[in-house]
Amino acid sequence: MKNIINSIKKYKFLLYQLVSRDFKVKYKRSVLGVLWSLLYPVLTMSVMALVFSNMFKVSMPNVNYLVYLMTGLVIFNYYSEASNLSMSSVVSNFSLINKVYIPKYIFPLSKCLFVGINFILTLIPLYAIILITGVPLNINHLLLPFAFICLFLFTLGMGFILSTVAVFLRDMFYIYGVMITLWMYMTPIMYDFAMIPAKFQLIFKLNPLYWIIYFARSIILYNEIPSLNVWIYCLGFALVFLLIGMYVFKKNQDKFIYYV
Amino acid sequence: MKDKDIMIKINNVSMKFNLGVEKGFSLKEGFVNLFDPKYHKKRKEIKKKNEFWALSDIDFDIKKGEVVGLIGSNGAGKSTLLKIVSGVMKPTKGSVKVYGNICPMIELGAGFDQDLTARENIYLNGAIMGYSKSFLDSKFKEIVEFSELEEFLDVPVKNFSSGMIARLAFSVATIVEPEVLIVDEILSVGDIAFQAKSEEKMLSMITGGTTVLYVSHSLESIKKLCDRVIWIDKGKIRKIGGIDVCDEYQEAVKG
Repeated sequence: MKNIINSIKKYKFLLYQLVSRDFKVKYKRSVLGVLWSLLYPVLTMSVMALVFSNMFKVSMPNVNYLVYLMTGLVIFNYYSEASNLSMSSVVSNFSLINKVYIPKYIFPLSKCLFVGINFILTLIPLYAIILITGVPLNINHLLLPFAFICLFLFTLGMGFILSTVAVFLRDMFYIYGVMITLWMYMTPIMYDFAMIPAKFQLIFKLNPLYWIIYFARSIILYNEIPSLNVWIYCLGFALVFLLIGMYVFKKNQDKFIYYV
Repeated sequence: MKDKDIMIKINNVSMKFNLGVEKGFSLKEGFVNLFDPKYHKKRKEIKKKNEFWALSDIDFDIKKGEVVGLIGSNGAGKSTLLKIVSGVMKPTKGSVKVYGNICPMIELGAGFDQDLTARENIYLNGAIMGYSKSFLDSKFKEIVEFSELEEFLDVPVKNFSSGMIARLAFSVATIVEPEVLIVDEILSVGDIAFQAKSEEKMLSMITGGTTVLYVSHSLESIKKLCDRVIWIDKGKIRKIGGIDVCDEYQEAVKG
């Protein structure tokens, strides 16, 4: 544990540099630049909202569908983008790993942080929609960072697992692409959880993202403090995946160099 | 010899590579082998055959302030040893301890991002080598002056010529005064004027009292710079001694 803290201290500046590099490179040569972080989610979500509320006539009683959809999407998009970037982070930085000693965990970590900053920016359009649609704000919103921290830890854990697997098995990039699509539809983002037949509900509840989205929606849409077991599920899933990820990554990181 | 004088301690280091590792496992192969009853035995044999010991039982210490040269033919394991000492690879057996901060000058510009400007790359590359922001801030001017690239600071590196990139990389890499310096060939990069300058800088780093582990094929420079020479042959230490080892090596190669 002390080692981890020391090494984070030593490589704090590198972490900062890697995250800021991602930012600089991402918005190079785009006219709107960082504004895209705000615009992109709004536009894609508008398309989805249009499709699902008008064409498929999804409607939710007593709930603003747009805010419902957007809460789920903001969270799922964070997971999807951060886990994808983390997965390729070790492989794509091979030229560095092969030449200089850098703690390798820094690559998935920097990707999760980079997308995290983007995530915070997407909260701006989320809150804009909340205000415009007239969903009342409440003091419980201050509890939301708990869900976001759980989301970050869970994603980081998955990032460690995926980046390790991807080093040994490049097929993972394709497999995971399919998996994430399936995962998206298995998470109640655009539909109501109540629409799921009772016999499948347990499977859906094994999805950590379900609980994180549930937590956020309880507060944003229903003005309720989530019950204790929701807190436990969120944190429990996050910590379990983080620990598994750290273990898998640490155990295999010395072998990376022979496979990348 | 007191123990605290030792800067690099290399204990019985062996390094095994699996030459078949690139092939790995493919679906087709796996399917065909499914019907081969002797598959497991065969696989083990193949594995054994593909094993390659790049280094075996390398064991020596380097004292503070010593300049140690590594010589040997291509593929003898010199670069592998440097990678192990600088922490890029973990040895299969044995251990390496380095006391003090280390500056591996194995490959320059490894951390450059083509899309970033020279200024941004100085910081990124510096961070990769483990320097802090305040350190880089204080050395920034010196780095830029040495590279002579003042006018191009805000140009993306992808628009640089390879000589300019090498100059920038060299300037960032040599900015520290490390306690342990690892050098794979004296790097002289850029045009003639800069080559002289960079070679001089390297020489002053090597002779400046730091501990150096130096690999070169130029026996001339080894003789000129090193206190001790280690001859590595096919992954084993053939001989350790003074600069006269160079002559023996030369003779062995000729003979």
